[in-house]
Amino acid sequence: MAIKFKALSYIYNKDMPYAHKALDHIDLEITEGVITAIIGETGSGKSTLVEHLNALLLPSEGSLEILDYELAADKKVRFLKPLRKDVGLVFQFSEYQLFEETILKDVTFGPLNFGYSPEEATQRAKDALALLNIPEELYEKSPLEISGGQKRRVAIAGIIACDPKIIVLDEPTAGLDPKGAKQLIELFIDMNRTLHKTVILVTHDNEMVYNYADETVLLHQGKVVYHGPTLKLFNDKKMTEEYRLLEPQIVTFRNLLIEKGFKLTDEARTLDKLAEEIRKQLK
Amino acid sequence: MSLIEVKNVYYAYNENSVAIDDVSFSLEEGTYTTVIGHNGSGKSTLAKMIAGLLEIQKGSITINGLAVNAENIARIRRDLGIVFQNPDNQFIGSTVRDDIAFGLENKLVAVENTERIIEEYAAKVGLSDHLDYEPQNLSGGQKQRVAIAGIMAMKPKIIIFDEATSMLDPKGKKEIKQLMYQLAEEEITVISITHDIEEVMQSDNCIVLNKGKLFMQDKPEKVFADAEKLRKINLDIPFVMQVKEVFRNKKIKLKANDLKGMAEELWRLNSKR
Repeated sequence: MAIKFKALSYIYNKDMPYAHKALDHIDLEITEGVITAIIGETGSGKSTLVEHLNALLLPSEGSLEILDYELAADKKVRFLKPLRKDVGLVFQFSEYQLFEETILKDVTFGPLNFGYSPEEATQRAKDALALLNIPEELYEKSPLEISGGQKRRVAIAGIIACDPKIIVLDEPTAGLDPKGAKQLIELFIDMNRTLHKTVILVTHDNEMVYNYADETVLLHQGKVVYHGPTLKLFNDKKMTEEYRLLEPQIVTFRNLLIEKGFKLTDEARTLDKLAEEIRKQLK
Repeated sequence: MSLIEVKNVYYAYNENSVAIDDVSFSLEEGTYTTVIGHNGSGKSTLAKMIAGLLEIQKGSITINGLAVNAENIARIRRDLGIVFQNPDNQFIGSTVRDDIAFGLENKLVAVENTERIIEEYAAKVGLSDHLDYEPQNLSGGQKQRVAIAGIMAMKPKIIIFDEATSMLDPKGKKEIKQLMYQLAEEEITVISITHDIEEVMQSDNCIVLNKGKLFMQDKPEKVFADAEKLRKINLDIPFVMQVKEVFRNKKIKLKANDLKGMAEELWRLNSKR
């Protein structure tokens, strides 16, 4: 099992005047069982990259090995359904994808489509809805009647209910309020820590990347320019300057404290943990 | 009289969901107002009521002395533009040029003038070189700039931004925010619904909504002075205040108001021991 991009390129509008190479010879192996952030400016190829993960896009050149599947240029794909069951893709503003008459039906659609029996599919849907804190009294409501934050969670429940091995999230918290965003991200952290799901997070929020992502992939003009531990990237002044990465405020604060003489471990990447390590040194 | 006067307005989507409940405030011409509040606090509903996109069920809104209602709406819309959150949902033309032209044509601007106006406003938003681009070849930030150019070309007095930067990357956000500040300098009245603390700090005036009610209206420094109060209604607070709060929970009181000062304070505490 692997998630391995091999010399993969993707060209939009191939052979047309507006042809545009969005991914340029990507060689990348994403580590399983960890949380990987994919960052880079708009147009750097982030969405194009993740859309390959469940074959929404097929490589123009090169190939992608994912789990037991292989996607390659000019090769017919025969395993779309199992691949899409195993790789759950949560789009930006996923709430726009709700379509069923009731919330429960909407979430049941995925597992039913992937071959679970109606009873099993319903059970999975209910479990996923519970995990996302959607109260039971909403199950029979129309997805159009609930708030934006709830809609987002219902859409995500639809993916979780299919029990994917890999969860890919494209800007999952955009437009949510701080509390809603925190709850949602902590749910994915928990799914990674307890269920060992591989989580791939596409985001512009470097604060979130620093707090939660074990590893980071930095894309620039369709190429991978960094792949490794998140902390190492943000500690590398040369990289952050060259690619104009916004320094997370917690990094600024960490550096000020270290300059003063405090000792901070790599674990101190959330404000809570950082304050705890400082408190211990004050005792 | 203020440019915009909102008096005791009320809006409910149905009997169980009251979105705006007895809200009153007034906004002066040429000011930059940010509206904050958690999801579901009624921010977008309020913006749509001001723009006449939702009917006012109780109370009243007047713009430039004119009541916002079915009778006056065509008149009011001439003075008011709105930029929405999703850049993909508001592109009408097949190119940047067509998109900016759309509003002008509706306004029956003489054909011989449209080209000049389009070029003027494309230049204002920095898209002079992109007039023949199609929407799929533009970034989110560029699409939002096209939307803004289209609205500016109509010469409105008021522009409402409904989370116009929330789907953009940091670079796009920055571009749009700069453009918004620039509008305010040109005496356009800006109302911006946002989650962006940095933007709120730059505004003249901040309205905080909570559960459909007006929670606070004040200068941004004053609004953020009481972090505890904001946290109670589930609002984001500036990083410096988060630091203070986290340490306070660990029984360490910090007085400084900047990161450097706090690092020094902590180090002094350390040296004392």
